[in-house]
Amino acid sequence: MLRFIVRRLLWAIPTLFIVTFVVYCALRLATNPLASYARANPRIAKQPEKMAQYIEENGLWPGITGYIRGYFLWLRGFLTGNWQVSIKGSRPVWPNLKDALINTLRLGIMASIVGISIGLALGIFAALKPGRLRDTAVNTGALIGFSIQPFISAVLLQLFFAVQWAKWFGEPLLPTSGMYPPGHTGFDPVLMLKYMILPVIVVSIQTVAAYSRYMRASLLDVLNSDYLRTARSKGISERRVLVKHALRNAMVPIVTLAALDVGAIVGGLIISEAIFEYPGMGMFFLTAESNGDFPELMPWMVIVTSSVILFNLLADLAYAWLDPRIRLD
Amino acid sequence: MRTSKGSKIAALAVGLSLIVAACGDDKDASSTTAGSETTAGSETTAGSETTAGSETTAGEGGEAAMRITYDIAEEAVWDDGSPITADDFICTYEAVMNTVGSLSTVGYDQILTVAAGESEKQVVVEFKTVYAPYRGLFSGLVKKAAVADCNDISGDFQTEFTFSNRPYKLESWDETQAIFVPNENYWGEDKAVTSKVVIVPKADQETEIASLLASEVDFIYPQYSPETADAVAGDANVKVSIQFGGDYEGLYFQQQEGPFADPIFRQAFAQSIDVDSIMEQIYSPIVEGAEQLTCGPIVPGRFCDETTVQDTYDPEGAAALLEENGWAKDGSGFWAKDGEAPEIRWMINTGNTRREGAQAFLIPLMQAAGFNVVADNCEAECVFQQRLPSLDYDLGMYISTAPPDPQYLTSSFACDQIPTEENNFAGQNSQGWCNQEATDLLYKADATVDLDERAGYIKDAIKLMREDWVMLPTFQFPKSGLYRTDKVGGPVEDELNNYAAFNNFHQWTDVDGDGQIVIGAEQWPGCLNPITECANSSWYVWTISFPLQMGVYDTTNDGDYKLTPMMASEPVVETL
Repeated sequence: MLRFIVRRLLWAIPTLFIVTFVVYCALRLATNPLASYARANPRIAKQPEKMAQYIEENGLWPGITGYIRGYFLWLRGFLTGNWQVSIKGSRPVWPNLKDALINTLRLGIMASIVGISIGLALGIFAALKPGRLRDTAVNTGALIGFSIQPFISAVLLQLFFAVQWAKWFGEPLLPTSGMYPPGHTGFDPVLMLKYMILPVIVVSIQTVAAYSRYMRASLLDVLNSDYLRTARSKGISERRVLVKHALRNAMVPIVTLAALDVGAIVGGLIISEAIFEYPGMGMFFLTAESNGDFPELMPWMVIVTSSVILFNLLADLAYAWLDPRIRLD
Repeated sequence: MRTSKGSKIAALAVGLSLIVAACGDDKDASSTTAGSETTAGSETTAGSETTAGSETTAGEGGEAAMRITYDIAEEAVWDDGSPITADDFICTYEAVMNTVGSLSTVGYDQILTVAAGESEKQVVVEFKTVYAPYRGLFSGLVKKAAVADCNDISGDFQTEFTFSNRPYKLESWDETQAIFVPNENYWGEDKAVTSKVVIVPKADQETEIASLLASEVDFIYPQYSPETADAVAGDANVKVSIQFGGDYEGLYFQQQEGPFADPIFRQAFAQSIDVDSIMEQIYSPIVEGAEQLTCGPIVPGRFCDETTVQDTYDPEGAAALLEENGWAKDGSGFWAKDGEAPEIRWMINTGNTRREGAQAFLIPLMQAAGFNVVADNCEAECVFQQRLPSLDYDLGMYISTAPPDPQYLTSSFACDQIPTEENNFAGQNSQGWCNQEATDLLYKADATVDLDERAGYIKDAIKLMREDWVMLPTFQFPKSGLYRTDKVGGPVEDELNNYAAFNNFHQWTDVDGDGQIVIGAEQWPGCLNPITECANSSWYVWTISFPLQMGVYDTTNDGDYKLTPMMASEPVVETL
């Protein structure tokens, strides 16, 4: 197992290297950081010597060799903590990116826990009585959940719990935007949880729908397998068959999916964060992208890419842990 | 919304003490008290001994035509208790004049020297010429001790604004909120009433209205539309207040380069715009019976000639003009010359439904008239802080907020206010229009104290503007404030028409007792620098600059100036 982990980690280095180079080139082409800088600083942009200085300091040389040199300059700065400052506002990137990452992890992990737990429970609940009313109800609910896009559910929930509720009772039941009430500073888990309720619900709706379907299908497969029939014929109780044998094996593909999904969460829950004005990775990306802010987008991409690679590894490890037949060599 | 920032910055710089070394005989000086309307040379005063005791001086020096002596109130201090002195005036002047990317140097560039007078609480400023709009100068001071180098503060104020001489100071600012708390050292009588004021960004008008209805914000200041009033009509605790003031909307033609650099094409295009139909389609739904603003880039009043921009719509004349000058319609039905039909990029800020509606209405009409107009929009910050200053558009549509003094016309339309290398790319002439005769008239107006004479120059300059088709004014736009009466009280409606907007929020009361007042902001500044591009937005100056930086004069709700508590007395103005 250790060899596997080490090998995968070693492989991750060239993978990251190649991915970041490709992303570097793509982002430079897409955002044209020099033009973005010129737009953000229109007066400075008309001073050739200042623009030349900006090019030198940030490695924005043209041509293939310029891109390669620029990439290595960026990489060295990134690894040594000497990050480029943002184009908009000329601010250090890490403080805002760090906050966005933490905020998204809070929201994403909570939504994942809620969504996956409920989804799995509903999937098991449906799979145990396939074709019955409960199965139909869960399947129909999942279909509806899939169909309601976050931008619809978010607005509906905001209208109901805030606007209409305030009209009826004088105060909104749940806040509709931000992480804390205006004027609040510092960390307050209770307030934070209150502000996360609606975003978590919105993000969870589709997660519940998806995982209930995955779990139902996976569990049905396992429950109808030969080895469980054998187990039952040996007189093992249905409860033990379910808990000890069926669930564990049914979880194998689920865990893989969950790991990949959680990895992708780091990339931001863009729609939900935008609607709820939640300052996470999605909002960070949207803002940086709209500003063509290359120095902000590159570290964002690196973190998202690293997250996907890391969670892929975790998925493999979990896979092996759940299914001893799988050898990680 | 765009702020005419020239006067604000101009106001900043004048407060510097001026060295009077090269001035002439003070006994011959004539003076007038700031705020009076007397003609230069009317009233003789004793000469002042301006340079006594001064150790710091800024400016190029030379023969002065006007001198202003400012006496700072003895009790006037910054929020840390340190005194406000002539050094802060000097620093402000230096920052405006020398900072890379300074938004505008208008007014300050007329200053010869700024120096301390008889004490550190006296500032003497000398001008090359008589500068009538002097009350717009030094409207917000930069604290010398807060910056490393007054001659270039472009790297300061990225995420914090560390000083205040207003009733509130900024406790914190980030992408999600700005928190103001009382300035304990504020010496004035109008101290902060509520223990905290929070300003939060809202993505668009729909969001801010929803936040108001959900009691998440207490006050918003949106561009008015009937939909705004309709949206809150069902909530008895929300009050809507509308006032007409210095806001006006217009269509602007960038003519330094691109299709409108051709004056024939520009004129034909402008004459093809049916302003009456725009009024009917876009503005009448806002205010019944809305009429076109015909003054030019100024609102009705002393400086407006309401016959200047009338009857501009003349499609036949436009077509004839183009044909006479070698234009012909191509196969697509667009006017073309030498085989090329120019594309006209119409820029507005995305999310502004009224302007988007104007595009949806007008673009097909203009295309049918043979003009290849395309929408080329971006976010408000992109429009006002990036594309307008770099003249990166062909046709623009936005609201300007005119300060009380028409000096802003100089900073917005004079030739030397086109951002160029010569002026260090400072200047707000975002149309790129240059008419030397008009420029001379505007500067002459700025050097004329007699208001009638000054109005004459300004009207003449605007007539030249009309002849050159620089812009088409459309509508004097109402200002609106919406607030929850169950959350906030006091004089909420008293200053809505002020150039400084809701700048009296320090006097508002916290009705529901939650300890704070929350204001929703439609736009959010990218940084807090009061001198550079950051300040090229109304929302920046409303939410940061005005609440924190006191200067010599404040603007009033009825479009005038009043002395701030920072000053001991009216400045003494002398023409030399």
